[in-house]
Amino acid sequence: MSNNKEYLFRILVALSVAGLVVGSWGVIEVMRWGKNATALGSYVTWGMWVAVYLFFLGLTAGAFLITILTYVFRVKIFAAVGPLSAFTVLVALTCEVMIISFDLGHFFRAYRFLLTPSFTSMITWMVIFTNAMLVIYILECYFLLRENLILWSKEEGRSGRGFYRFLTFGKRDYSEVDRVADHRRVHTISLISLPIGLIFYGVNGAIFAILLNRPLWNGALTPLIFIVTALLSGGALITFLTYVFRIDDKLVHYLGQVIRFLLVVFLILELLQFFVGYMTGVVAQITSLNIIAFGPYWWVFWFFHVFLGSLIPLYLLARHRANPTAVAWACFLIVITFIAVRLNTVIPDQAVYKLEGLEATFYHARLRTDEYFPNLTEWLVSLWVFSLGMLAFLVGSRWLPLIVAGKGEAEHV
Amino acid sequence: MSVNLPAEDPLIRMQRDLKRAKAKNLKDIKWGMVIDIAKCVGCHACTIGCVAENKLPPGVVYRVVLEEETGTYPSVGRRFVPRPCVHCQNPPCVKVCPVKATYKNEQGVVVVDYNRCIGCRYCLVACPYAARTSDFGEWYTDKTPEVPGKLVSRKAASGYEIRPAAEYGKKWPDRGQGSPIGNARKCHFCLHRLAVGMLPACVTTCVGRATFFGDRTDPESLVYEQIGSPRVYRLKEELGTQPSVYYLK
Repeated sequence: MSNNKEYLFRILVALSVAGLVVGSWGVIEVMRWGKNATALGSYVTWGMWVAVYLFFLGLTAGAFLITILTYVFRVKIFAAVGPLSAFTVLVALTCEVMIISFDLGHFFRAYRFLLTPSFTSMITWMVIFTNAMLVIYILECYFLLRENLILWSKEEGRSGRGFYRFLTFGKRDYSEVDRVADHRRVHTISLISLPIGLIFYGVNGAIFAILLNRPLWNGALTPLIFIVTALLSGGALITFLTYVFRIDDKLVHYLGQVIRFLLVVFLILELLQFFVGYMTGVVAQITSLNIIAFGPYWWVFWFFHVFLGSLIPLYLLARHRANPTAVAWACFLIVITFIAVRLNTVIPDQAVYKLEGLEATFYHARLRTDEYFPNLTEWLVSLWVFSLGMLAFLVGSRWLPLIVAGKGEAEHV
Repeated sequence: MSVNLPAEDPLIRMQRDLKRAKAKNLKDIKWGMVIDIAKCVGCHACTIGCVAENKLPPGVVYRVVLEEETGTYPSVGRRFVPRPCVHCQNPPCVKVCPVKATYKNEQGVVVVDYNRCIGCRYCLVACPYAARTSDFGEWYTDKTPEVPGKLVSRKAASGYEIRPAAEYGKKWPDRGQGSPIGNARKCHFCLHRLAVGMLPACVTTCVGRATFFGDRTDPESLVYEQIGSPRVYRLKEELGTQPSVYYLK
């Protein structure tokens, strides 16, 4: 078993490195040619990278879900995955920031967020709350891992002891007083993270929801859907990882129940979105919905999202809920197909011309809505970010006490 | 000769209006445009005039002419609706810009600070009129053959393309060296021309004299007069954006 795990670890590291090497070509293209290297246009101006951004945004919600359940609602069983999920959120947040940075036309002007922020813009709030989440989860991760980092820094024969000493700022002793203090800190941070996290996911939804000219996005339901989808995809990731790291099969079972509930809620919300959209009868909205369901990429919706990402997981979570392998498979399917949900969030509304006759005037490929499909550069950059994230996660899971720190954690909750 | 012919070319009157406006304090001017779609012949001269004036690269356009078909056969018609940036008095694009790079200036013109724009394109997504385009950094002279002495080749042609326009009355670096590549771009009512007493390029190139421009707060101006017409309407008025561009049916 141990050999198998080591083998899998090496394969995943090799895949990540290969992804980084191959994806570098896309990164170089963007560095050289900017957005000219992409297939984006002025009408479909947010494309694959924004969808991938939203995908990572969802994955960050895993830790949020776990810490809230554990430290706010005192569900002790989830405490074992606290450190792992806090680290996962850090990696996902970093990937999220990276991919959206590639999407900026002038990345090196990002300092403008500090100099001339506009508080009427949802993107400003997105930046503020992304940073708040980063600070929260760096601190949470640190206080959850500190005891084991100190132990590892003193452990005879363990390699990298200097590195662990560096991470603990040279602290050598860890008393019961420290332990109590760290748990109090984690509890406080989790309490703070509840409103901040909800606003963070809501704000990301509000970026889309406030746009009056975007019938598919505009509405109070959008931020709510963002919160639910984030919890669903992030929670599914944590459940899958809990199974992979063999932390606790019982825990996989409980998490599976949470995921099943979230999946049902999400599907109801999605159904409502379609129902209300079609019944409203606004042409632009119906056109967008038709693009999702019957457009050239109908299979993204029906095959990847509905069949692979919803029906099969729902079946597995309902009929085989006691089987951790089935639950893990269900969660794996939800996570990997969630990019389809994100693509269908971002692109279809933009794919409808907002003025009659716009499609027939001033022809240029970047002024068309029907010609956007992510090009090779966009895929390669996405691959690069995914690979970097995976490598960071693998390295962290190997050289940080993410699993051991969760053991016995329940008694402190 | 019809008695309805104007006594003078509207351009002459608009030029007088412009001169009078420029004598005012800048903050007391509110620029406005009126487009008489009954007069527009759909020649696209305004689009081309704008592209030439602002040296717009491929894929960037400030003013398009939309074509609409009306009626049912055999009673059918076509009308042309030129669409510049409509310079909303309540602009959705300004509110969403996270770094205050786009704003409404004193004269009610929505402008973009090229040196501040981070290129997030939120304003493009927020504009209900699709009036903004992103400059992706394309060149007309890309893939132009290079045969020195035989053709006006890429090097020679790009000499024109590389020189920037005087948008916003500023001297910009040669094209390819930063902004406006990577920025959101849009119509700015040719502020650089107004500054030197010239009407916007789309107004002077309109062969049907269908586009009128001036200070919409000046009761003596042509645009003020036309805004009072019972034929007047604005695009997507229901959104509450209050455009400064008016149309005459």
